[in-house]
Amino acid sequence: MSKVPPSQDQPDDVGDQYRRASALDPSRPSEAVRRAVLAHAAQLVAKRATRDEGSMTKSTRRAVNQAWWRPAILGTLAAAALAGLVVAPRFLALRSPPAAATPSAEGSVPNATPALVAPAPDTRTDERAASAPAVGPESTAKPRASTRSADMPTGGARPKVNAPESDGPAPVVAETASVVPRDRGEAQSTDARVAGLEARQRRAPGNTSATTAITAAPRPGTAVTPTEAPVDPAAAFRRAAEMGDLSGLKALLEKQADIDSRDAVGRTALMLATLQGQTNAVAVLLEYGADPNAADADGTTPLRAARAGDHPAIVAALQRYGAR
Amino acid sequence: MTDAGESDEALIGRYARGDAAAFVPLYRRHEMRVWRYLERNVGNRATADELMQEVWFAVARDAVRYEPTSRFTTWLFTIARNRMIDSIRTSRQQVSLETLGYEAELVVQQLTTAPNAGPLAAVVVRDQAAALAQALGQLPREQRDAFLLQIEGDLSVEEIAAITQSSFETTKSRLRYARAKLRELLSEYA
Repeated sequence: MSKVPPSQDQPDDVGDQYRRASALDPSRPSEAVRRAVLAHAAQLVAKRATRDEGSMTKSTRRAVNQAWWRPAILGTLAAAALAGLVVAPRFLALRSPPAAATPSAEGSVPNATPALVAPAPDTRTDERAASAPAVGPESTAKPRASTRSADMPTGGARPKVNAPESDGPAPVVAETASVVPRDRGEAQSTDARVAGLEARQRRAPGNTSATTAITAAPRPGTAVTPTEAPVDPAAAFRRAAEMGDLSGLKALLEKQADIDSRDAVGRTALMLATLQGQTNAVAVLLEYGADPNAADADGTTPLRAARAGDHPAIVAALQRYGAR
Repeated sequence: MTDAGESDEALIGRYARGDAAAFVPLYRRHEMRVWRYLERNVGNRATADELMQEVWFAVARDAVRYEPTSRFTTWLFTIARNRMIDSIRTSRQQVSLETLGYEAELVVQQLTTAPNAGPLAAVVVRDQAAALAQALGQLPREQRDAFLLQIEGDLSVEEIAAITQSSFETTKSRLRYARAKLRELLSEYA
């Protein structure tokens, strides 16, 4: 135990050496990464701001709902009571009982019920009511509907709000709505990740275009279904790369085929050869000057595709030619 | 408002409240530290670039959830480490620094072609850079990780132990052995 390394509390000569060497090390993250990060950060703030505006509108609507909800009920009840007072004496007068019998509740209520009692618990019916006490609150109900459509966010989580909003009372709606921004934020984050060249997502099995393409593609040595018919020299060239047809590749190269021509989804011959694990074709293409960083329409580079497809020889070859 | 003297926690708080400008100084302040931590752990610049982007995307996304109960750097390097480990698990092809012939060669080329590097300086720099890369590469992964967390993240032993989910004593031992090994390997360049 006498050889226990010294404590870190001792003078930090190793740390100093490390820092000196680090200061001399010119390696640093690429400018593209810096730009992407800062742009993404600004974009997220903008999205949050938009979302917050939506939340504020919802809060306002919630307040509107509360202001509308209680008077509407009270107004409806008052209207029902008033109507009952007006109609009941007429009903009693029509029956004109000879005896001075007290009108029974059983007698009046069944007649009044269809017109007066039924609207009371259903506040939506109140919106269509025409009685004076209910008009005031109703006037706020119509803007509510228009506000809802005006600030309707374009998010997949929105239906979650609509369902309780139309079926349940307002306070429940407000609680549900308060959950939505988080869901939408997650969705936005996911979108940003997908759009922002997140490498692990690209490499994760089943998640990305590169991986999908690779998993969908047969391994080298197996039958390869051409992705497009060789209708022109460029397509024939790409197909030769995909199939690992070295003689065809070289022949087409000597005929000055565009080495970096792309198919419908932006894949170059190098990318197609990489996806198929055609190491020799990749080597030929690189030797003839193919762009090792030519990404496809999804932004997947040959290097990422090679990594995702577990083609270490192609990874090494690409890196030798400056692939990033 | 300038960022001079403003704490990381204040900056991330401002950003979470919608001040996009606060993110820029925060990123610049920690850019190289996170980069070196990633690059020297994974030993590959392309992968480090990808991880770098993922880490900072996560920081931006989760800023609203950051609670200043711990230092920002602890949170930042926790994210960085988790992303790195995920990446390693996903790719299953962690490249050790010793095998980075191409990368090391590139570093040496860049160092020796620096405009202000004279012949002697170039040799010294080349040797130091190569020695550092080799020395770090010879450390066991846990020791290298702990050392880089400490020196790049400026994290305490307790914080490193928490991040790596190791005991305090284990972490302390890793740091000691890492430093001892590096001291030995770098002794001729001291």
